[in-house]
Amino acid sequence: MAATTGTHGQGEQIPPGKPMSTEQHMLDKGAQMLQSLTPVKQMNQHVCTFALYNHDMNRQIETHHYVTRLNQDFLQCAVYDSDHSTARLIGVEYIVSDRIFETLPEEEQKLWHSHAYEIKSGLWVNPRAPEMVVKRELENIAKTYGKFWCTWQTDRGDKLPIGAPALMMSPQAVNLGMIKPELIQKRDDKYNMSTDAMKKSRLEIAEPEWLNPQADYWKQHGKCFVVDVEDVEMKKRAPFP
Amino acid sequence: MEGKHVPTHPEVPGEPTKTGTAILETATATIQGFGPINKIHQHLCAFHFYGHDMTRQVEAHHFCGHQNEEFRQCLIYDRPDADGRLIGLEYIVSEELFLTLPDDEKKFWHSHEFEVKSGVLFMPGVPGPIQRQDLEKVAKTYGKVIHFWQVDRGDTLPLGIPQVMMALTRDGQLYDNLAQDMEKRYGVSFSEEREKRANMEGPAHGIHPLANAGSKGIQTVLREVDCKPVESVPRVFV
Repeated sequence: MAATTGTHGQGEQIPPGKPMSTEQHMLDKGAQMLQSLTPVKQMNQHVCTFALYNHDMNRQIETHHYVTRLNQDFLQCAVYDSDHSTARLIGVEYIVSDRIFETLPEEEQKLWHSHAYEIKSGLWVNPRAPEMVVKRELENIAKTYGKFWCTWQTDRGDKLPIGAPALMMSPQAVNLGMIKPELIQKRDDKYNMSTDAMKKSRLEIAEPEWLNPQADYWKQHGKCFVVDVEDVEMKKRAPFP
Repeated sequence: MEGKHVPTHPEVPGEPTKTGTAILETATATIQGFGPINKIHQHLCAFHFYGHDMTRQVEAHHFCGHQNEEFRQCLIYDRPDADGRLIGLEYIVSEELFLTLPDDEKKFWHSHEFEVKSGVLFMPGVPGPIQRQDLEKVAKTYGKVIHFWQVDRGDTLPLGIPQVMMALTRDGQLYDNLAQDMEKRYGVSFSEEREKRANMEGPAHGIHPLANAGSKGIQTVLREVDCKPVESVPRVFV
């Protein structure tokens, strides 16, 4: 899959474009020194896991989440397609505790996925962080729900971000939700780890007693979601454009 | 008429972060790598409005990294603080790359010429002559913005579906009170800056008519479909 390697390999360059000029490098360095960039400095965790396109569950991707905690019940993640400095920003995920999730309207809950299986199966990992350090956090995350929108489908070789955002779902322990072994193997090789061993070591993490059936909507109802765009007349206060 | 200010400290519901969690995250922050995040090197400030509703205007703090000379990717926050909410993202491409996009795709993208030339788009903390070197390039680009969190309507959580956002293309669109408030907070003057940017130029081929929501308006809708592949979903009738 040359397309997915993008700038990291021999494949076609994704995104296309001229290399950085020296002048731009200087400008960027200068800005970086002068500006505080506070919000992005709050990212405290790197999580590597997998996700599936809700509109086509055959398509599964490895994801890299850079996570900021706003409070004990809420996390926001910038999601990239690798952990390289050349990684492409492919979307955003929000994570809420079960307590917050239960307060959401039903129509809203349909867009969210559960995390219990992802944790228990060892798919969700914090690369390079010892398992014992993150154990408590994993216990927390097992009880959370996530909402993940993907805006750049680099897995199908999109050179530029094309189309409307896609709703993503989490791995689940049923046919369609299982992550392909070759994807897991590739990740295990990269980080010199064993997802299977993780799974065994996480046996003692408690399963949530209750998973809201509105979450993972596809699993319960066989229905999936697609975002379309429509041409409309904009509500204006001055001519546009 | 006034634009709506987003409250300065809207509470995202939830308990304060527990000490144990904070300590754990200090550890992961130290041990783990943050490759893609370390590439973020500039803060751009501007306004977005909804592709279907210009009267809903949102202050947007962009934190951007270059993939190459012609492509930037940005995280968008509602304010540049430690508790800033990640409300969206933006991709910025050169005119050359924009022109390679399928026609059907172009409506998602907006031009940057007016935003830059009007002085409204700026880099907080960066001296004028330096930021103008970069903004001269930005003026020729197109951007695709998606917001996931509608903070302007007071959402304390990210609800609903993603929104395609547009940006300023002429005078009279931006609410004066929102503009003045930002100028005051950052000690900048859009009108003074506008004069200094008078000689900057937009896209060489002019602003594409299919960009900026096809010169009209754009809105996302959610559609429920049968899951694909069909045979793999558990069925009631076999």
